[in-house]
Amino acid sequence: MAHKWGMAVDLDRCDGCGACVTACHAENNIPTVGDLQAARGRAMHWIRVERYFEGEFPDVRVKFRPVMCQQCDAAPCEPVCPTYASNHTEEGLNAQVYNRCIGTRYCANACPYNVRFFDFFNPSWAKPLHLQLNPDVSIREVGVMEKCTFCVQRISAGKISAAAEKRELKDGDIKPACAQACPAKAIVFGDLNDPESEVSRLARSPHGTKLLEDVGARPNVTYLERQTKA
Amino acid sequence: MKTPTGNQLTTDLLRPLERTSWRFYLLSAFLGCFVVAGLSAWFYQMYWGFGVTGLLSPIFWGFFITDFVFWIGISHAGTLISAILRLVNAGWRRPVTRCAEVITAFALMIGGLFPIIHLGRPWLFFWLLPYPSRRLIWPNFRSPLVWDFFAITGYLTGSLLFLFLPMIPDFAIVRDRSTGLRKKIYGVLALGWRGTTSQWHRLESAMQIMAVAIIPVAVSVHTIVSFDFSMAPVPMWHSTIFGPYFVAGAIFSGIAGLIIAMAVLRKTLHLQDYLHPVHFENLGKLLLTMSLLWGYFVFNERLATWYGNDPAEMAVFRVTQSGSFAPLFWTMVICNFLLPVIILGIRRTRTIAGCVIASFGVCVGMWLERFLIVVPTLGHKYLPFTWASYRPRPTEIIITTATFAAMVLLYTLFAKFVPIIAIWEMKAGEHPSPDMTPQATAEHRLGDMHA
Amino acid sequence: MKAIYALYSAGQDAQRAVNGLRQAGVGDDQITVITVAPMEDFEFSHIGSKNRQWYAACAGGLVGLLFGTWLTRFTELDWPLNTGGMPIVAWWPNLIIMFELTMLGAIVANVGTLLVGAGLLRRRPVLHDPEVSNGKILVGVENPSEANRPALERALSVGTDFQLKTL
Repeated sequence: MAHKWGMAVDLDRCDGCGACVTACHAENNIPTVGDLQAARGRAMHWIRVERYFEGEFPDVRVKFRPVMCQQCDAAPCEPVCPTYASNHTEEGLNAQVYNRCIGTRYCANACPYNVRFFDFFNPSWAKPLHLQLNPDVSIREVGVMEKCTFCVQRISAGKISAAAEKRELKDGDIKPACAQACPAKAIVFGDLNDPESEVSRLARSPHGTKLLEDVGARPNVTYLERQTKA
Repeated sequence: MKTPTGNQLTTDLLRPLERTSWRFYLLSAFLGCFVVAGLSAWFYQMYWGFGVTGLLSPIFWGFFITDFVFWIGISHAGTLISAILRLVNAGWRRPVTRCAEVITAFALMIGGLFPIIHLGRPWLFFWLLPYPSRRLIWPNFRSPLVWDFFAITGYLTGSLLFLFLPMIPDFAIVRDRSTGLRKKIYGVLALGWRGTTSQWHRLESAMQIMAVAIIPVAVSVHTIVSFDFSMAPVPMWHSTIFGPYFVAGAIFSGIAGLIIAMAVLRKTLHLQDYLHPVHFENLGKLLLTMSLLWGYFVFNERLATWYGNDPAEMAVFRVTQSGSFAPLFWTMVICNFLLPVIILGIRRTRTIAGCVIASFGVCVGMWLERFLIVVPTLGHKYLPFTWASYRPRPTEIIITTATFAAMVLLYTLFAKFVPIIAIWEMKAGEHPSPDMTPQATAEHRLGDMHA
Repeated sequence: MKAIYALYSAGQDAQRAVNGLRQAGVGDDQITVITVAPMEDFEFSHIGSKNRQWYAACAGGLVGLLFGTWLTRFTELDWPLNTGGMPIVAWWPNLIIMFELTMLGAIVANVGTLLVGAGLLRRRPVLHDPEVSNGKILVGVENPSEANRPALERALSVGTDFQLKTL
């Protein structure tokens, strides 16, 4: 059976450290836009840690939620793209094809999760940071949309390695940068079509919910948290 | 007030073509400066990237999409006046039709530029055209933006033809009355027109068909523009009312634009004998009707939202009604509803000046309405952590201003080279002595109905 | 003689001239009446009223509809891509494209038929007088036979301020 990639994020383990964000930037050649542009709202964090405060002092709780592209089954960003730059792959990923993108930005407006980002300027890396760029990931030019791909370059690399070694892919062979970097192991990635994989188990967990489930986009990221008020 | 007839009419309406004052050159130069500034701003944006605008994550559409919807809306003037009044044989349309059709043509051209201006990679806009390409891919016909492309192309083609066909007999008149180079140019533009009865009948049939065809196209165009919003499942966009709401708003802003254009023409080209107060009164009544209709749609949309009390929708609702967008929102309500209903509802104030004041208010209000549809929703989608606010930067303001200047400039140039009131249509509305006037028949379409 | 015609100021005179020409044996398809604006109050304006504009427009609309149906279906199947779980051939959006192309087909066919049928793309035929643009009504016959000339001149000599001309 074909793979169907999904993720599970354990919100009880997440402490908002931001390692996933940093790792994503490094792995996917996401530029830092500079303090001026970040103040103007142009920062591109393919995965971001949302922070909400609950309660009144002194009973304030801070909740962290890492949000990345949910790779929705019924993604609202896909039908609206005039050039098929945003479309769905057979393995359940929402693909963003930079070469087809003409930058209408409709996909970003249609996305309920605000996980799509626009290259407002051409990216630049001050030397010697350019030496750190990942050769497996293309650099996006000004005017195109980009977003989390579940590290599709690592997925491809994993599949190619498994084929070269003449074996099946095992659960845990492929780890996106965020899952790899998380010190609390809050992010789990795997094949939802494999009922034995950890992500499938977590997706079936009674603690699991989907973000903005009622919008109907059918996201493939399950968020786990204790359902108590404490 | 009797409209001049015969040769006096021809002379009056051709005077702008034959005499040019220094004011024309000054105005054209002044407007041209704004247009050049706008083009410069656009090239600046294309060179440096969209970052020079005020857009940000997640407000990815701002001034340019507002302008796009606004100008496409203005373009609905010509269709309503020209096509519908032509189909119902309303005689008072005669001096007004070409003024209206010109607005449509130019507003569409300007509005149609914005989908290109707002692209991140505008040099690739032609990928919306379905041609067999080596990229082995076609445009996505499920996308409202592709529907936009087809609809606007169709409407632009139809409107330009709707404008050009009845200009042919007038070009023939200019050709016959001029000499030299002007005779040659207008001779080419007049094609092979002589004015035989057979040609008149064919032109009349063609115009009837155009009128019947252009009305559904116009309705579909602004409905499809509204689909740019209603197809996205985000709060206060995903509303089924958007189709009719946008069409009504378009006709509303179109009539306002027409009243302003007519008032300016009447003053600058001395057309007081041709554009009578009754024309403005009639259009004023139409504007009043559309204002009430607009109010009805807004009430419908907001009541259903408020009553449904969905948290995400109410966030957007509140930010427009009482939050940061409240000043703009209430200005819009005053300009689009209170002001026109009062000025146009009272007969004493339904003068030319009153209609123009109401129309300016409507233009401002309708621009604000487009802005308030685009930006508050994008700034307040489902996840409050991502909420943001938008401030336009000089690039967007310059380009927006330049489009208004371009509209006035194109209109000025048009009125210089083509009679802005259709000479043959005015003459067709004249009638000889009553004893020769036959009873109205089904074929009696180019003239007026008689009792 | 390529044409014989007269110019009149009043519609009634032109109508009498047309009636006179008919009595002189000239068929309606040989009578040319040229005016600066359509004068539907007079019977002579009905000469040459039959045309095929509506049929052409409907045919053009049909062509547009067929093209739109083919274009959307073919391109969606040619390179099928899953977008948001929508069907590969998505009829609801396709209907929009089909509608637009139908109307465009009708409009273009309509204008094309007008240009061809009204002779707008040909070099202007001989019989025309610039005085028409000053409000005169031209009534004439193109390529008349020399033998008929006196009868035609008599038929065209109507009223007090007519101008009889030949080309």
